[in-house]
Amino acid sequence: MGRFIWADLRRIWPGALVMVVLVALAVALGTGVTLQERALRLGSARAASAFDLVIGAPGSETQLALSTVFLQAAALPLMPGEVLAELEADPRVAWAAPVGFGDYYGDIPLVGTTTRLVEEMVPAFAGGRMFVNHGEAVVGARVPLQIGARITPSHGAVSHGGAAHEDVEYHVVGRLQPTGTAWDRAILVPIRAVWAVHGMAGGHGHGHDAQPGHDDHDHAHVEPSAPLDESWHGAGTPGPPAVLVKPASIADAYKLRQEYRARPDTLAVFPAEVLTGLYGLMGDARQVLAAVAIGAQALVAVALVMVTVIHVGQRRRQVAALRAFGAPRGAIFVLVWSQMLVLLAAGIVLGHAAGWLAAVQLSRLVAARQGFELPVEWAAGDAGAFALLLGVGAVLAALPAFIAYRQPAVASLRG
Amino acid sequence: MTAPALLMSGVEVRFPGLGSPALAVPDLRIAAGAMVAVAGPSGSGKSTLVNVLTGLERPARGTVRWGGTDIAALSEGARDRWRGAHVGLVMQDFHLFPGLSALDNVLLPARMARAADRALVARAAELLAGMGLDRPRQRIETLSRGEMQRVAIARALLRRPGIIVADEPTASLDAATGELIAGLLIGLARDSGATLIVVTHDPALIQRLPRRIALARGSVVAADLAEAA
Repeated sequence: MGRFIWADLRRIWPGALVMVVLVALAVALGTGVTLQERALRLGSARAASAFDLVIGAPGSETQLALSTVFLQAAALPLMPGEVLAELEADPRVAWAAPVGFGDYYGDIPLVGTTTRLVEEMVPAFAGGRMFVNHGEAVVGARVPLQIGARITPSHGAVSHGGAAHEDVEYHVVGRLQPTGTAWDRAILVPIRAVWAVHGMAGGHGHGHDAQPGHDDHDHAHVEPSAPLDESWHGAGTPGPPAVLVKPASIADAYKLRQEYRARPDTLAVFPAEVLTGLYGLMGDARQVLAAVAIGAQALVAVALVMVTVIHVGQRRRQVAALRAFGAPRGAIFVLVWSQMLVLLAAGIVLGHAAGWLAAVQLSRLVAARQGFELPVEWAAGDAGAFALLLGVGAVLAALPAFIAYRQPAVASLRG
Repeated sequence: MTAPALLMSGVEVRFPGLGSPALAVPDLRIAAGAMVAVAGPSGSGKSTLVNVLTGLERPARGTVRWGGTDIAALSEGARDRWRGAHVGLVMQDFHLFPGLSALDNVLLPARMARAADRALVARAAELLAGMGLDRPRQRIETLSRGEMQRVAIARALLRRPGIIVADEPTASLDAATGELIAGLLIGLARDSGATLIVVTHDPALIQRLPRRIALARGSVVAADLAEAA
């Protein structure tokens, strides 16, 4: 019987191929949406996991989270410089580190920060060492720069018309191991160097906007050999756009957030929580896409049922002959049913493979552009969805099989 | 399998929209192991008679008794089983399945009926070899028409049926091949002792069969069954 099914499929292979491809495309659409949404959720959760609590100036919570976790370019307001010193002194804080944004090398963001943050966030150096003075930089795993490279940053991404800081040069001295986050695509430099570039070292940081459009470059002056100073107790500490805070305990995390939310001049967010809110939106989008995918699958199913019913009609003679030669009706049912199911199952399996491949390709694209990884993974629920599709296929295949089963044995065998 | 005798009585088959019955056979007997030609112009009810005799069609009225079994009283599934076990069919258009080998074609209906054990597979090969087809693995569509009809005969004989029904077995063959096939069919039926019923227009084939039934407008108009019985 298997050989007969195979011989028959080979005879009608163009039609069979079209069927398999149609099913595969419809299934791939659904699988791709599911996998990609999951990858986005997993990937961004991983990217956010290093950022327990972020404190910034009042403004958009979402923007504060996106700018720190994904290094999304945006004009963040600056907060009072003394907040940093307060946080450092707070016993509920394990460590706190300022981050400063705004400069780019080409399209790669420069992030001003501290040695502590680099040590805490990145497992180890892939090569080289930490920056030790204001003229040095450390690059993330995905940054296409070699140790020893010398770079001149620009204010704003070059693709957005950023102006070069012509008198500033960083020397790349270290390369980090990958973390799977957007920070793999960043160049990390001492924050005081960033402040110096923007002429903010003098302690008039209050209410400053360090973003494009604000021209405070006139008195930019960086002394490359200036040693690092990572204590913030001086009264002249400029205000950073954001401070990453590692709370000493979970209870402390909530207390800190509450306290800094209550202040009029600061804002505190758990990036993971902000992202969860975004996932809610994303989940809605996924449901819309999933509905579209299911609609496409239903359309394909209806089309296939019509095609196979016609096909069974064209096989009337063959079925009648088999009956005449003594094949029982049940065997005819099994024959038509299993032939259809073979095609559907092939389409479903290929569709899953195609959906997975598409999601992997898309993730690669995002990783190359945004720097953070979107892990495409199967979950236990996918097996259920796979089984459900096969089950629906088995039921659909039963329709033409039943028609063949019901066909009278006496159909014209001549001519 | 011993050949059964046929006892048909009060059989009537009507098709909707037609005034006169397609087939009306008040009484027809064929002895076990007989060899009968069924002749008649087209539309005379030959195909309907074959369908009724083989259980493909159930007459609205009457009994069709083969040996002890009235197949007109059997359910569709039971008739399928009975036909598979007792009837070998040979048809004008062969009804072989492209893409399968000669051997697989012979075995296909038996396999679908789950009747193909090792002995039957061996018998299929023997039947093909006995008919001079020495490449049983050859794809069926590469054979000549005469060879195809031999494969079809082998398929009909596979399960040693007591009844062999051939519907115009030589009509799509040239005269020489037709004669060869006719001889093969009659010889094999005689060797197996099966009852052979051949629907045919072919005068040469009719001549080789000892008895004949003539049909016209659904009725038996002449039957020289008694004289040779």
